[in-house]
Amino acid sequence: MKAVAKIILLGLVIGFPLVGVSPYLLHVATLIFIWAFIATGWSYMGRFGLVSLGHGAFIGIGAYTAGLLFNHFSLSPWAGMIVGGILAGVMALVIGWACFRFGVMGDYFALLTLALGEIVSLVLVAFRDYTGGSLGFTLKRVGSSWFYLQFEDKAYFYYIALSFLLAALFLWRCIDRSRMQKALRAIGEDEIAAATLGVRIVKYKLRVTIMSAFVAAIGGVLYAQYVTYLNPHTLAGVGPSLDIAFKAILGGMYSLWGPTVGTTIIVVLEEYIRVNYGAKYVGISQIAYGVALVLLIIFMPKGIFGTMEEKIRRVLSGRSRSRDPGQKH
Amino acid sequence: MEIVFLNALVNGILLGGVLALLAFGLNLIFGVVKVIHMAYGQCVMLGMYVIYTLKVIYGVPLLVASAVSVVIMGVWGTLLHLLVIRPLLGAERLNQLLALAGLIVVFENLAHVIWGADLRGVRVDLPIVSLGNVFLKTSNLLAFGGALVVLGILYGVLHKTYVGLAIRAVAQDRECATLMGINPGRIYLLTLTIGGALTGLIAAFFSPIYSVHPHFGGSFTLMAFIIVVLGGMGNLAGGFIGAFIIGVVTSFAAVITSTEVAEIVALTIFILVVLVRPQGLLGARRAR
Repeated sequence: MKAVAKIILLGLVIGFPLVGVSPYLLHVATLIFIWAFIATGWSYMGRFGLVSLGHGAFIGIGAYTAGLLFNHFSLSPWAGMIVGGILAGVMALVIGWACFRFGVMGDYFALLTLALGEIVSLVLVAFRDYTGGSLGFTLKRVGSSWFYLQFEDKAYFYYIALSFLLAALFLWRCIDRSRMQKALRAIGEDEIAAATLGVRIVKYKLRVTIMSAFVAAIGGVLYAQYVTYLNPHTLAGVGPSLDIAFKAILGGMYSLWGPTVGTTIIVVLEEYIRVNYGAKYVGISQIAYGVALVLLIIFMPKGIFGTMEEKIRRVLSGRSRSRDPGQKH
Repeated sequence: MEIVFLNALVNGILLGGVLALLAFGLNLIFGVVKVIHMAYGQCVMLGMYVIYTLKVIYGVPLLVASAVSVVIMGVWGTLLHLLVIRPLLGAERLNQLLALAGLIVVFENLAHVIWGADLRGVRVDLPIVSLGNVFLKTSNLLAFGGALVVLGILYGVLHKTYVGLAIRAVAQDRECATLMGINPGRIYLLTLTIGGALTGLIAAFFSPIYSVHPHFGGSFTLMAFIIVVLGGMGNLAGGFIGAFIIGVVTSFAAVITSTEVAEIVALTIFILVVLVRPQGLLGARRAR
């Protein structure tokens, strides 16, 4: 029954652009896919207590590396993705090693990553001769091309972003079933006890951090290729970092679909407010958005998906005791 | 060249004085309520806007406007506690952080909507004093002196009055403070009101020096964080020392290179402190 529902849903999602929906809806859907991709990658770390408030650093590194290589050396963004991803991975390795080796956890880790995200943004601005500084830069146009990942028709990006999202979700499930997950859960519950049992703390934390950074960097490249414009304040720094964390947490960062649900809700909310109220006073939409977020955090601390999941579970276990509560967490 | 450095040093020290006030407020709130007020710099920004509105639009004299700002921001702090912080007292730390970070967006855009994106300055003509080759703006001197006076008063209140004792007790051990008959909820409210009033005061000191814009709070929030962690989170004396260190370092860096690099330097110091000595210069060693 569940499988049939999934297939129908998948069919709907795949068939969506083919029914002639407006480019605006395609645009919103593509944005959702790209940000959900990055948010899911963020949750690889987040679900194990490694809350990063600085993913903007990785997004920015990925986007700017690929973008600059494309503009100056005509390097295909596909290759640029790999290069950017590797650079982000290296940064994750260095910072991660320093943090985990020195036992930086919890709040301090979050603040440190916040600082890191801001540093990357500032560096991008400081090298304004190469990066265009606060004004950003535009990718040169080459028309529609698979090799250069640019298309006039939004539907292409829709499917590409969707594929990447599905890949990230698949990777989530792989991690969930791996030994790494068990190790990280042990670390999350009691790091010292886990260490005494021989669990290699630094190795597993590093692994998941690098994966998360890699995904974020690729997401950054996708976004940059989609909007063909890069800006250090939308791709790096405090803004996007907090944004990604919000999306994942509000949706529920411990579950597979949580980040996607959270991203959908937040993007739809943002667009709705912006379209209906944004024109009247610039900034009212953002205020409403911020207030909505704060209210959501106060009243739904487990995230929307998490809260719903709990309610469903309570209802189900009330009905029949023998039902297995599910393999999630 | 030495003259430039000397000027940077002195101005860094003056800046440090006001940053010390900022750090005090953050440390007080963190020490007592155990919440990191992520939007503190943004509250200062709002205070500056209040002063601007009162003085430039309604013609209120600067001193009166400043006093009103202190009161208004104090009330703002109270509201903040009642509406956002109190409901989140039992929540996970991460959620507290995120909620307050969300407030950053709300405050900055509130300012944007009400006052627009342009720079708003309170034009006050104060003379420039010179001691030998060092040029000091009176506004900076006043801010520095005022900050030190206020810090002295606050220190006195904390250590010589009953209320101050209650605040310190709650900061040290909330449960035992309850046993002593202290109502922590009321102390939290008081702390956030004082913290808010402080932002109004800092705004008063900043108004003659800086022009305000919606993103003004950003770098100060970050700066305040760095100082607080450098000095030891919750440690008031540490915050004081840290403020001057950061003030001088960023002043030098800004003179030698550029403002962005100065911020990068400050952030790098922050990262190094978190890695090597997270309890800060004066903090007690805790299990990480």
